[in-house]
Amino acid sequence: MFEVFELNPTEIRLNKDKDQLTVTFEDGKSFSYSAEFLRITSPSAEVQGHAEHQRKTVPGKKNVKIESIESVGNYAIQLNFDDGHDTGIFSWKHLYETGMNHDKLWDRYLDEMQEKGLSR
Amino acid sequence: MSEEVSKERVLEMLQKVKGPDQDSDIVSLGLVSEIVENGGKVYFSISIEPGRAEELEPMRQAAEEVVGRIDGVKSVAVTLTADRKPGQDSAPQAGAAPAGGPNLASGQIPMPNIKNIIAVASGKGGVGKSTTAVNLALAFAANGLKTGILDADIYGPSIPRLLGLAGQHPEPGGDGDSIKPMKAFGMEVMSIGFLVDEDAPMIWRGPMVMSALTQMLQFVTWGELDVLVVDMPPGTGDAQLTMSQAVPIAGAVIVSTPQDLSLIDARKGLNMFKQVKVPVLGIVENMSYFLCPSCGERSNIFSTGGAEAEAEAIKVPFLGAVPLHMDIREKSDAGQPITVSDPKSIHAGIYRSIADKAWDELERIKKKNVYTPKIIVE
Repeated sequence: MFEVFELNPTEIRLNKDKDQLTVTFEDGKSFSYSAEFLRITSPSAEVQGHAEHQRKTVPGKKNVKIESIESVGNYAIQLNFDDGHDTGIFSWKHLYETGMNHDKLWDRYLDEMQEKGLSR
Repeated sequence: MSEEVSKERVLEMLQKVKGPDQDSDIVSLGLVSEIVENGGKVYFSISIEPGRAEELEPMRQAAEEVVGRIDGVKSVAVTLTADRKPGQDSAPQAGAAPAGGPNLASGQIPMPNIKNIIAVASGKGGVGKSTTAVNLALAFAANGLKTGILDADIYGPSIPRLLGLAGQHPEPGGDGDSIKPMKAFGMEVMSIGFLVDEDAPMIWRGPMVMSALTQMLQFVTWGELDVLVVDMPPGTGDAQLTMSQAVPIAGAVIVSTPQDLSLIDARKGLNMFKQVKVPVLGIVENMSYFLCPSCGERSNIFSTGGAEAEAEAIKVPFLGAVPLHMDIREKSDAGQPITVSDPKSIHAGIYRSIADKAWDELERIKKKNVYTPKIIVE
């Protein structure tokens, strides 16, 4: 079924060190994401593939930074990372959902890293 | 190991190809588009005058041939396009645009002269979207707003005809790349229909759609406008997405006939705008009923009230019902839209009322401030 994500963010803030993004939504919820977290959960097909089994575990992004933010229409932002990754369109929905599931996603990432013998 | 093919090298080779005048080369004539290179495959287009494609086929082949000779080139695809005036410089890249106006975020095309952009859309073709767009724009103008209309229906541009401008061409602006909008009934008007033959089929690949639209937004020297009405292409494809992403659309008006089928499509259009967070100002029911010009009997050909019920179901305002009437159709096709040619008519009144409602909704939404969030970089 078609679903529309109704919540809009009111503020998107990138810190001075460019390694942490804080997004505040209309419902008052505020999420902070490290640049590394955003990079490894990027909605880009480069990371997510086209199906769950194609999803990649991206190693070595501990020190990645966000160089700039561009808005995409009224529904998303595009983040430009300093490792050249710029194909992820972070919709409000994606940001809200990854914010809500931050710890779960982060633990999964760490587990996958260990499983595959990769390092941050 | 595949070595990268440089664009400079491609252009260098293309200087060997003579242009349509058999004198200067196609590069110095500025006919070569942006060159796209991907893994040894090279793509670009050459601008030509409409109607000369067959005659200039050898030029196209020559271009493919010389580029094919470059080391590392695996394949070459050259197309002839008639969407720019010959001799005009290649369009600069989007990145060369000046910095944005007050409400614009980066990544969007800055349109600082335009206070509000309203998109008129439909889920499918043939529901009278362009006629509605024209009369809506004229109704805004009649209400004292400085108004422009952009025909973004690149597949079937009909605004030139509807405004009596068919066959006319806009003038180039001051700085070579820009185009001055045309004028009709006190409005500024731009359409891809001014730049190409009316009968020429518009066969566009996705990326071409995007570049045609962004060029019309970027290189038209719009004056100070209170509102720009955009006649969107029907459907929910590339062109609609480009528009929704490239410019800050303040709101969308959806046109539908009362038929179920049309309404299903209208709902798709509506959901697309919701998905990309463009507020929907409301639904217009077009061809709502038929008033017999001789006996005055009202026939609900497509049944009626469907759009109103739909609007209620999906919680968007119902802006009004426009009857299927000879006068609207005849005056539209003659380039004399009813809002200006017969302003005292019932139909003109309906369009003005639709414009009022849409404008009220726009003001209401703006107060709610559903626009893009503040982006702060510390």
